[in-house]
Amino acid sequence: MTAQPLTASRDLSVAELEELSHELRTKLLELCGTYEGAVHIGGDLSAADILTVLFEYGMTVDPDDISNPQRDRFVLSKGHAAVCMYIAMAIRGFFSYEGIVSSYGQLDSAYGMHPCKVQLPGVEASTGSLGHGLPLAVGMALSARHRGQQHRVFCLLGDGETGEGSVWEAAMAARSNRLGNLVAFVDRNRQLMTSMAEERVVFEPYTDKWAAFGWNVVHVDGHDMAALVRVVDELPDPDSDRPTVVVAETVKGKGVDFMEGNLAWHAGSLGKADLERALTALNTAFEASRTQKENV
Amino acid sequence: MPVTFTFGEFLSARSVIGSTLAELGETHDNLWALTPDIGATLVEFREKFPDRFLDVGLAEQVCVGIAAGLAYDGNIPVVSGMLPFLSMRALEQIRTDVCYPNLPVKIIGTHGGLVGNGGSTHYAVEDLALMCALTNMTVTSIGDPLMVGEVLRQSMAMKGPIYIRLAVGKSDQVLYQPGQHDVRIGKGIVTREGTDATIFTHGTTVAQAVQAAEALEQDGRSVRVVDMFTLKPIDADLIAQCAEETGGRFVVLEDHLAYGGLATRVADVVADRGIRLTAFERLGIPQVYAGFGGDEELRDKHGYGLAATVAATRRVLAAQP
Ligand SMILES: Cc1ncc(C[n+]2csc(CCOP(=O)(O)OP(=O)(O)O)c2C)c(N)n1
Repeated sequence: MTAQPLTASRDLSVAELEELSHELRTKLLELCGTYEGAVHIGGDLSAADILTVLFEYGMTVDPDDISNPQRDRFVLSKGHAAVCMYIAMAIRGFFSYEGIVSSYGQLDSAYGMHPCKVQLPGVEASTGSLGHGLPLAVGMALSARHRGQQHRVFCLLGDGETGEGSVWEAAMAARSNRLGNLVAFVDRNRQLMTSMAEERVVFEPYTDKWAAFGWNVVHVDGHDMAALVRVVDELPDPDSDRPTVVVAETVKGKGVDFMEGNLAWHAGSLGKADLERALTALNTAFEASRTQKENV
Repeated sequence: MPVTFTFGEFLSARSVIGSTLAELGETHDNLWALTPDIGATLVEFREKFPDRFLDVGLAEQVCVGIAAGLAYDGNIPVVSGMLPFLSMRALEQIRTDVCYPNLPVKIIGTHGGLVGNGGSTHYAVEDLALMCALTNMTVTSIGDPLMVGEVLRQSMAMKGPIYIRLAVGKSDQVLYQPGQHDVRIGKGIVTREGTDATIFTHGTTVAQAVQAAEALEQDGRSVRVVDMFTLKPIDADLIAQCAEETGGRFVVLEDHLAYGGLATRVADVVADRGIRLTAFERLGIPQVYAGFGGDEELRDKHGYGLAATVAATRRVLAAQP
């Protein structure tokens, strides 16, 4: 197999990444305000910074060369955040945002509630049933090892999702096979669909669980772009022998005050009136965080 | 005996499940409700009987396994969730932990068929084939919101497991006014009388079958609709009777793979009993991953919507013996 070398990650500043993340959230809300059906907006907003840092900075990918064997792979294990991934990829140049909003959820659209690799080339795996993504990522990482390739395989999971036994079976397999080229992110927003974490399911001590499985554990604020950039910069060499999990502390509904930490916004539809309210809240929060940074 | 049929109001089957379980919890202190993070349906039960409610989080296999453990100790557990995940992720638990020891565990859930627009990860379209294959399992599929309550009540006396399939369950049309139809697990319901052909169906497509029959009434054709809400055990006597009374003309319509669900159950009875048919057509999901779209759009696209039902029934009516 001969392949063109892919250009390495782009050199964007933290401030530029934050702008892109804000753009992603804005577009998510716009879609949630216009599409009639439910959008998994809570878990989209919690994952937005992680997806931005991965697609814009951390991963070696090329929208114009989607089958290059050397590309980093991304598996969205929490498949219900599909639209957040579609839009993050659109901002990176994979798809057209207009194409997404105009057809999302419609008959024969490639952009559905959960990602389908067959219908939407560029997406690496068909997911949506929770607990499947990490095993797939282990298989991809194992294959890369076997072929002597240097790329990484990234996987994003929900924390609720990690209740599935298959996640821990995969965790064990990844360590057993010394897959240092595998990087899992957990969107630790401490909410499931119908309960708050620790209320019915006890996850803590959470990072210890991953450590006990022999993984390299990184704990980070999943909305601190500078910190996320550092995490990506400092990932162990793909040739190393321990998989990495990045436990990213996040807020479900991040950026929209009335959605944050609110179980009612696991999935929902905004409608026109609430769209304005949500965008105002988002912009206010964004401006506030920017002012705060300038003052530091 | 002619049965009059009128469509009723729209109700949420999920809320009927919630209130029925809350009611049954009063009379059965061994009734438990379990869910893998799909708890909205069970709020009423949870508030009334918090110590007989268990939300295990995202863990379908363990949810069914724990239910079996509870049942071993004399409890009656109801596992409520989304059927694509319960019927497939937890399939071995259902088969080996529940059906093998024949325990009274009830599996009830939504997303049976191409409903909800979640894509193929979120459509249970093979579930009836899988569940019908399991020894000891009673298999039902329900379109009428009030009937769900009735089936749950009847199932309390059962010694073994039952699978209860719903569509989305948020808003379904009442088909059977209480007291007007005899709802009994194991017996088909003649939803609408007719003498020229029979449409067998279950779940969401019952309403569609009635609409097709009404459209054909305009042409002067008399089409019977049978709601075969129990797929297993199948009401073989009713199938034989319909063959005799409606000219051996059968259409089977369902929101499930066209092979493996009710059509297969009916065809098995026809073959085993040596029933002579004039015509047989099956309408259901073909062997494709269906994609995204609204419920009706998907049925139309995949060839088992209202127009296709009318057309297939016309063909069956036109067949020569
Ligand atoms: C196997 C499986 N069971 C149930 C669901 C339905 N479901 C979709 S999202 C969700 C909650 C997920 O929680 P989490 O993983 O924490 O995601 P987040 O909070 O980030 O949205 C549930 C129960 C599913 N998609 N797959």
